[in-house]
Amino acid sequence: MSDLDKAIAQLRACRPIPEAQVRELCHKARELLIEEGNVVTVTAPVTICGDIHGQFHDLMELFRVGGDVPDTNYLFMGDFVDRGFYSLESFLLLLCLKVRYPDRMTLIRGNHESRQITTVYGFYDECLRKYGSANVWRYCCEVFDYLALGAIVLGASNTLEPSSVDSDQEGSFRSTQEYIDADTEIEVLNSSGGFVSRVARQKPKVFTTKGSSPAKTGPPGTGASSFSKGTAGNSTGAVLCVHGGLSPLIDTVDKIRLLDRKQEVPHEGAMCDLLWSDPDEIDGWGLSPRGAGFLFGSDIVKTFNHTNDLSLIARAHQLVMEGFKEMFDNSIVTVWSAPNYCYRCGNVAAIMELNEDGSGDGMIPRSNGEVNRSDGGIVKEKEKVLLNGPARRYRVFQAAPQDSRGMPAKKPVADYFL
Amino acid sequence: MAFNGPLDEAFPTPAAMDRSTVSKVQKGFKISARKLPISKSGPIDEMSQKLGIPVPEMIFGDNMVSIEHLASGWRLEFNAFDALDRVDKTDKNMLKVAYSQEWSSSREKTHEGIKEIVKPFDWSYTTDYKGTVTKGKDFELQAEGADPIPVELLKRPDPILFFEDVVLYESELDDNGISILSCKVRVMPDRMLLLSRLFMRLDGVLVRVRDTRIYVDFNTRKVIRDYTEREDEFEKVKKACQIPHLLHHFYKLRRRSLRSLFWICSLKFSTTEQILAALSSF
Repeated sequence: MSDLDKAIAQLRACRPIPEAQVRELCHKARELLIEEGNVVTVTAPVTICGDIHGQFHDLMELFRVGGDVPDTNYLFMGDFVDRGFYSLESFLLLLCLKVRYPDRMTLIRGNHESRQITTVYGFYDECLRKYGSANVWRYCCEVFDYLALGAIVLGASNTLEPSSVDSDQEGSFRSTQEYIDADTEIEVLNSSGGFVSRVARQKPKVFTTKGSSPAKTGPPGTGASSFSKGTAGNSTGAVLCVHGGLSPLIDTVDKIRLLDRKQEVPHEGAMCDLLWSDPDEIDGWGLSPRGAGFLFGSDIVKTFNHTNDLSLIARAHQLVMEGFKEMFDNSIVTVWSAPNYCYRCGNVAAIMELNEDGSGDGMIPRSNGEVNRSDGGIVKEKEKVLLNGPARRYRVFQAAPQDSRGMPAKKPVADYFL
Repeated sequence: MAFNGPLDEAFPTPAAMDRSTVSKVQKGFKISARKLPISKSGPIDEMSQKLGIPVPEMIFGDNMVSIEHLASGWRLEFNAFDALDRVDKTDKNMLKVAYSQEWSSSREKTHEGIKEIVKPFDWSYTTDYKGTVTKGKDFELQAEGADPIPVELLKRPDPILFFEDVVLYESELDDNGISILSCKVRVMPDRMLLLSRLFMRLDGVLVRVRDTRIYVDFNTRKVIRDYTEREDEFEKVKKACQIPHLLHHFYKLRRRSLRSLFWICSLKFSTTEQILAALSSF
C-alpha cells in the first residue's frame, strides 16, 4: 500500500495525517492543479456536488450514496471547509483523492477557500487546534490559490441510464430500470436508490431578449464560431459548474480562462463574482443590498447559456432545504451537499448525476430540430432556443446518523442566564 | 416549469408539530417550546412574499416559544414570522459590509449601468420584536425604572424545572458576520425568565444586541417585559474585549462571551413594560 493509500485510509477513518505528510500532499496537489486551466473540462459521467463545509461524516454518507471513488467520478464545487467540525479531514481526504485519481476527481474553488474567510469561520482555528501551529492551514491555503474557478462538463446524455447504485434494503426499489424511459429529464432518488419523483422532458424553450443579434456559437465554451445559430446539428449543450454564479465582467466562458486565478480571492472583480454572486428573481443585474456583490436574473443566465452553448449552469453557495433547486426554466441549478447544515438546520442534501452519452455525438435535444423546421430553418432575431438540459438524476440524502460521528446528541444545558 | 425538489408533501404535519413541542405547566402557567428543522422552499417563498423581504437562509419558521396563563387564556408567543415583520423593509437602516467602499469604487468605472440595489431592506435582520400577544391584554409602558425585573431573585440558584433554547432565525450575512434571533427560557418553582435576543455582528463594522426579557412571577401573576438595545462599533468592542480573535471566534463562543460584551457595549435605549398583577382579573 502506498503512502498515499495509507493516508486515504487514515483520513477515511477521520484521523488527521501528520504535518509533514500534509506538506508533501499539498505540494503534489499544487503541481497537479497548476496544470489545470481556470475552467477544467470534464467528460460525463460525473456526479456534481455542492458545499461540504467540514461535515466529514456527511461526506462519507455522500460517497456511500453516490458511489465510491474511483468508481464514480466526482466534481465538487467548493466550500469544502469552515463551519463543520472536520474541515481538515474533509479537505485533505478530497485532496488525497484528487492526487490519487486526478482524472476522476475535480475540485473547484468556493468562497470559503480563502485565507480571510477561513480565519473567521473555523478552518484556521481547527488547524491550530489539531496541529498546534498554523502551518497546515498555510499549506492548505496555498492549494486553495491553485484550485480551478470552474468546470465544463461535456458529453452528458439526454437520457438517463438505469440507476447503478442499488439499494441494499429489503422492500425498497432494487433498481429504477423499469421506470426509465427516454423522455425523463429529471429523476430524483432517495439515499437508498428508491424512486422519489420524475419530470418528463418538455418542448424546447424559446425566449426573447432585448436587442443583440444572434450570437455565433461553436463547440461549448470555446467561443468559436464554426456554426451559425439555428442549424439542427448545433445543439450539444455543456454544463458550466461554478461555485457562486456569473459576473457582469464575464460574457463568455473564455473570459474566465483569461483570469489570473493564482491568488487570494479578491474583494472585487470577475474572480470574486464567480465565487460570490447569487441568482435572484430580478431583471438583469442587481446590486446586493449588503453593499457588495451581484445578483443576476433569469435573462442573464439564459443569454449566457445561449452565447456559450450551455444547457445548464450548476452552482452551489446557497443553502437549499431540498438539497437542490432549479431556477429560471431549468437553466441554472443550485446543488447543496451539506445535510443538517451546521448540525442543526435539519435540511437534506443532494448530488447531481450526469450520465455519459453513449452515442459519441454529445447531447442532442430530441425536438430541437423540429422547432427549426417549423420555422422554415430561419431563426428570428431576438428569439433564442434554449438548449435542453442533460438528463439529470438527483440523489437526495440525509445527515449521517448521529452515533456514527462519535458525538453525543446535543441537549441544551440549563444555565442561569439573565 | 418550477421544479424545486422532491419534498412536496405538507411538512411538518400537525402530528410532527405536536411531537416537537415540549411544555411545562407551573402554578397555572404553561410554558411551551417547539423546535423543528428549517423551513422548506414552499413555506419560505410564501413567507418572503407576505413579509415583502427575503428571509434569512436559516429560517426556523415552525419554531416558537410561548407563555400561557391557563385560567385567563392570556398568551404570549415568540415566532420568526412576527420577528421578521419588525425588520425595516426600507433602505433607511441599511448597513454596508466592511469592504463595500472598496468594492463599489472598483465598480464605478466598469459597470455604471448597474446601480440599482435590488429590494433594499435591513439585511442585518435587526428586529425590535418583543413577542406577540396572541390572546388577552397587551403590555403597558411604565415610567422609567418603575418596576424593574428583580435580578437578585433570578440570581438565586433555584432549581430549573424547564429549560429550552430555540433559534427562530439565523443569517450568515453572506459570510460577513452573523445575525441570530434566539429565545431562551428557564422556569423555576416561583418565577420564570425568557430572553429573546438578537445578536448581530457585522465584521469590521458593528456589534449589536437587542434583548427582550419576559419575567413572570407565578405567585403574583405579574408579567414584566423589558426591552434593551445595545450596540457599538466593531473595533471598539474588539479592543475592549482585549482577547485577540475573540470576535472571530464569536460564532462558537457566543454564549460564553456575551456576558462580557454587555459591559462593553454602550447602552443606548431601554424600556420596561408590564402587566400589573392583571392576569387574575380576566
